[in-house]
Amino acid sequence: MLIENVIDTIDNCRYCLMCRHIASVEYVTHKETLSPHGWALVIASVQRGLLEWNQETVDVIYSAPDHGNSRAHCVTDQPLPEAIAAVRAEIVSQQLAPPIVYQIDERLREYGTPFANRKPGVVSGEKEIALFVGDEAQYLWPKTLPAVIDLLHAQGIDPVMIGVGRNSGYLASSLGLLETAKGLAEENLAELEASRAEYLLVLSPGDFFTFNQLYNERLGIEFPAGVELLELTTLLAGRLEGGKLKLKRSTDEEPYAYVDPTHAVRVPNRHDIPRKLLAAIMPGESRELFWRRERAHPVGCTALQFTKPDIAEKLTMSRLEDARESEATTLISEDPGTLKKLDESAAGHGLRVKGLYELLAEHLIHDEHGAAALD
Amino acid sequence: MNQDKFLVEMVRSELAEIVGQDYVSVEESDKLVYSTDWAWMPQMWLDRGQPLHPPDFIVHPGSAEDISEIMDIANKYRLPVVPWGGGSGSQGGALPVFGGILLDMKRMNKIIAIDEKSLTVTAQAGIIISQLEWAVNEVGLTFPHYAASSNCATLGGALAPRGTGTVSTKYGKAEDMVLSMQVVLPTGEIIRTPLVPQHAAGPDWFRLFLGAEGTLGVITEATMRLDYIPEHRSLRALLFDDLSKALEAGRLMMTRRLEPFVIRLYDPASTASRVKSILGYEFQGAYMVVGFDGDPDLASLQENKALEICTRLGAQDLGREPGEKWWAHRYDFYYPPQNLKLPWMYGTTETITTYDKIENLYWQEKKAVEEGFADLDIKFIGHFSHWFHWGVMLYSRFIIEQPPEDAQEALRLHNRIWNAAMQAVIANGGMINEHHGVGLKLSRYMRKQYGQAWPMMLKLKKAIDPNGIMNPGKTGFGF
Repeated sequence: MLIENVIDTIDNCRYCLMCRHIASVEYVTHKETLSPHGWALVIASVQRGLLEWNQETVDVIYSAPDHGNSRAHCVTDQPLPEAIAAVRAEIVSQQLAPPIVYQIDERLREYGTPFANRKPGVVSGEKEIALFVGDEAQYLWPKTLPAVIDLLHAQGIDPVMIGVGRNSGYLASSLGLLETAKGLAEENLAELEASRAEYLLVLSPGDFFTFNQLYNERLGIEFPAGVELLELTTLLAGRLEGGKLKLKRSTDEEPYAYVDPTHAVRVPNRHDIPRKLLAAIMPGESRELFWRRERAHPVGCTALQFTKPDIAEKLTMSRLEDARESEATTLISEDPGTLKKLDESAAGHGLRVKGLYELLAEHLIHDEHGAAALD
Repeated sequence: MNQDKFLVEMVRSELAEIVGQDYVSVEESDKLVYSTDWAWMPQMWLDRGQPLHPPDFIVHPGSAEDISEIMDIANKYRLPVVPWGGGSGSQGGALPVFGGILLDMKRMNKIIAIDEKSLTVTAQAGIIISQLEWAVNEVGLTFPHYAASSNCATLGGALAPRGTGTVSTKYGKAEDMVLSMQVVLPTGEIIRTPLVPQHAAGPDWFRLFLGAEGTLGVITEATMRLDYIPEHRSLRALLFDDLSKALEAGRLMMTRRLEPFVIRLYDPASTASRVKSILGYEFQGAYMVVGFDGDPDLASLQENKALEICTRLGAQDLGREPGEKWWAHRYDFYYPPQNLKLPWMYGTTETITTYDKIENLYWQEKKAVEEGFADLDIKFIGHFSHWFHWGVMLYSRFIIEQPPEDAQEALRLHNRIWNAAMQAVIANGGMINEHHGVGLKLSRYMRKQYGQAWPMMLKLKKAIDPNGIMNPGKTGFGF
């Protein structure tokens, strides 16, 4: 992001309070400093010599969640998350970032993920459709991939899987590790190009945002023209509507709630789609969290889980408390990072967590030969 | 507070024992962020690289009991206590100009009860108004205090300065919607005002805390009136070539007991600037938006009557689309970069008076500002936004696009302009403010505003806050 844009955005946001109502970190910490305007004001104050970058102020800047609510609700689309990411890059370059940031950088450069000591899988094959797996689906919620494969095979789709075990680049970008983020992005896109796919399916709104917007805005990397980017939920919903995806009803009649995953607010017009998929299989009553749809708060699965685990924990607990108050007993989502974080503490709130893709796969209607019915 | 680190730590420890270690801060970044609210003066000061006086402690109380204990500490050490809601006040009312203990109320953000029969909600004062609105929407109700600051202001922050929202013309100011409050007094007592606001059981003392802006105590909880979400809402826009006739049209609509939920009348200067820049309409004259809601038949009848009044006074009916567009974008004015922002100098010199005085007041204030500072290319714009049976509020603003670079010089000029505006307001029968409050900025005008009644107010302040710890320097009160 150009430095001039950063300055404009910071100056615009430092005294603007119009997105406070959906600000998640301020909501759980109650601290003015840990709000969109607070972060911008701290940055602006460093620029004006009223503060300096030190452990305290850097800690404040690394408390921003980068989940997109502030920008999604800004009438003038101020790219504050992007500006904060750019400022973090400056902080990183001055060797002032928290030590964990540099540790994650090493792991991302070596393994492409902070979640495992394994390099990404090798990709081969050329297909019309590619599926970006990423590292969260691979390591945090591994039930995702087999379920997704079942669902796609049932549609006659056998994709090339790319980015298997590799982070999309969002995490590195969010932490201010620009070169590392670019490297990951280029590797993912190289695999996409090698696959010669015309469609790229992604498993979560976070990945959709990364390919669709982050690569360009933060890294200056264009998503290849001629490749259509699609969330898997959007594909499945279209197939369901067209009668090409047949699902049976679940026998679980407990009330459930769909949890809009972290980054859902960054993808417009997607909130109904997972709900329709669930409505096709779940007989129980659907409940809604207070922090839902356009105002969904994140779970603590952004970079905060590394830089500010206490705040990440608060975000997760807040969502679980929100869910408990909805009187749902089962929480369902599709984003692996969201699922992992919810699942870690769900039992303590009397809740169960299930992945959307697994649920759909479990309720596929197969024909008498064991394959899914296809028109 | 003096910078004796030993004493600072002693007090911090005492505060932490009340609210928990996580909820007391003496961090430099926190002190800076909490040293400014939404007023132009401190924002300009920081923008020019000048430090402001910070609070000594930022404390997040979790209960009225916490605050009561904090008052004990404040009285013991003679520390100012500054309540802080959303920090979205434009008058410097939450500035910790003498340091002390800043109470960020947003930890107290729970909804306690929604009464669907009485149509009330009881909530803690630190809840963000938009979040309160979402909560009551879930049961088909609305909290009709639709302030431009709803996304950032707290319930306490709406009550403390006597705030007004967009639909106040029909639904009232925030103070009209409050049934009762819980308040922590400066001496530590936790009191409850009477259950209902209208009764005959003695003087109306509960209203002392409305408009006190934290100088008489801390509002910790309030029970507010709700309404059903209107089943119908429609707006239309009109254009008058004569501001005087437009004002008369508004007066007639109100005094004939039509019930518009909004009348928003822009003077020609505002029409040419703000309406054009935000809504994209190029009109010459006074642009008016009128809206009716509720039962569709009643609303339609009232709208037709309003249209008759307006067209009889020469209005051109612009139809629904501009009115609906204004409603959809009414808060866009506050988002950067289309809001009024630095490096410009600006101020909202709003006022209110009765219908017999408002037009003259408008022209006198305009003259005082425009003629007094003509060499600075000052702009004066205004709109009339909150209407009552007896009068209307003038939301007047001045703008200087190239103010002095030097912070002190800029502040001096700012204060001179305010002085000119407020002198004109007082001299022509207006109040120094209708809904933003007094804060620090207008504190110096309180004696003149209240005349012989001012000593009585000082006595009240002394009786309730004997050590003068509550938000000193605000609403005309010192220590």
